[in-house]
Amino acid sequence: MKRWSRRLRHLAAGVLDLPQDVVLEVPRITMIGHLQMYIENHRGVLHFSDKELRLLLTNGQLIVNGEQLVIRAILPEEVLLEGRIAGVRFIEQ
Amino acid sequence: MRNVLKEWTEGHVTIAVRGKRFERLINMAVREGFYIWNIRRRSPEEGECDILVRDYFRLRPLLRETGCRCRVVRREGMPFWLIRMRLRPGFTIGIFLFFLGLYMLSSLIWSVEIVGARNIPAEELQQAASKIGIKPWAWKVKLKEPQYLQQQLLAMVPDASWIGVELKGTKAIIQVVEKEQPEPPKMYSPRHLIAKKKAVIHRIQAEAGKTVVKVNQFVDKGQVLISGVIGSGGRQALVAARGRVEGEVWYVVNVSVPLTQTRYSYTGEQQSRYSLLAGEYAIRLWPLRPEPFERFKHSEERAYLGYGDFRLPLGWKKETLYAVEEQKQKRSREEAIALAKRIAQHDVLKKAGEDARIKDEKVLHTKEEDGKVYLSVHYAVIEDITEEQPIVTLPPAPQPGADTSDQ
Repeated sequence: MKRWSRRLRHLAAGVLDLPQDVVLEVPRITMIGHLQMYIENHRGVLHFSDKELRLLLTNGQLIVNGEQLVIRAILPEEVLLEGRIAGVRFIEQ
Repeated sequence: MRNVLKEWTEGHVTIAVRGKRFERLINMAVREGFYIWNIRRRSPEEGECDILVRDYFRLRPLLRETGCRCRVVRREGMPFWLIRMRLRPGFTIGIFLFFLGLYMLSSLIWSVEIVGARNIPAEELQQAASKIGIKPWAWKVKLKEPQYLQQQLLAMVPDASWIGVELKGTKAIIQVVEKEQPEPPKMYSPRHLIAKKKAVIHRIQAEAGKTVVKVNQFVDKGQVLISGVIGSGGRQALVAARGRVEGEVWYVVNVSVPLTQTRYSYTGEQQSRYSLLAGEYAIRLWPLRPEPFERFKHSEERAYLGYGDFRLPLGWKKETLYAVEEQKQKRSREEAIALAKRIAQHDVLKKAGEDARIKDEKVLHTKEEDGKVYLSVHYAVIEDITEEQPIVTLPPAPQPGADTSDQ
């Protein structure tokens, strides 16, 4: 059943030309250089320090590495992160 | 995402949260709809974040659930300001009084400026203005409409044809347009018109007085032309003689013109020299070893340090030397004579006055000597020869010319 649902979503994204983040429940990330990062569609903060931010996604995790990280603003589905961002990594489950 | 104005008006606090489950606290707070920003890590065990005062009071159950402890680090925003103001009433009153004073002082008239009054004395206008309330230290609020003030002022100052009143900040500007007064006619005292040069009368145009000479008559210097005494016998009166008498005056002018002319013209070469001025001394800065031109013209610019009228005895000087070269030009005899005549004419007209005209020109004598042309020219010039002579005694002293013309 779940596999059917996922296939249908992929199909919709391809055929109807919808933005993938809307259909597939994946995060949409906007970065301004290495200074600022805007993440939509997250599911909560797992870990936060000034070197690492670990966010929960619908299926998996997002790990942001950097230095002097500060969460400038946070809403239930959005995060605005500032600092010197060194790397972004996805872990899929 | 953030609303700084809201943060400030509602007040916000920076809290330091100590506990292992800091992330969980934030997740729960965000899910509850709290307004949280600027989340930082201070140490692995302690985090810091900003939160609205309103949400701070709702944070307690979440803290208990996650086992965190929090303390307030900094308070900011309007509510805290108000508290601080209540704690320091003197300070608050001072601020309030400051703004009140500023407002009061700006609603006073500080100065009255009068523009456009040339013949009407400024004191008169100031007095009139202060009677209807326009004076320094008067309240602007108490004044009536400027248009009404204008009318009142105009009624008080009859010499003005229009008066405008304008309040510009703390300055009242009274603009005056004066009535155009006709100029009073010039008064002349009784006088004669006499000849200022030896001449032959060419034309007489008398406006007032008695003409005592005739056309083509020879007059001497000082001779009366138009007499200020009119009437005869017992019925005599004195007037200011007016009129114009043109006479033919003879001049002989001697001019010499060299046959070779030396002219200096710029070669285009120039040299700038810069010096530092200290008091009366000038210290040459550039060039170190000047090489002057053989012939040059020279201009100088001085600039001193200082501000306004104050001037330091320190400055710098820029001299510019423009190289010139000599050019010799030869003139023919005809050219030289023509030039001499031009010079002579110019000379004569300068002597004869503005409205003179040359009637006749005659070259008396031409001589060439030592590379120069000497010319002697005779001119007959028609010019105004009148001069005023006030009548002091009555009857005027009889003059030789006047006697002859009466006969």
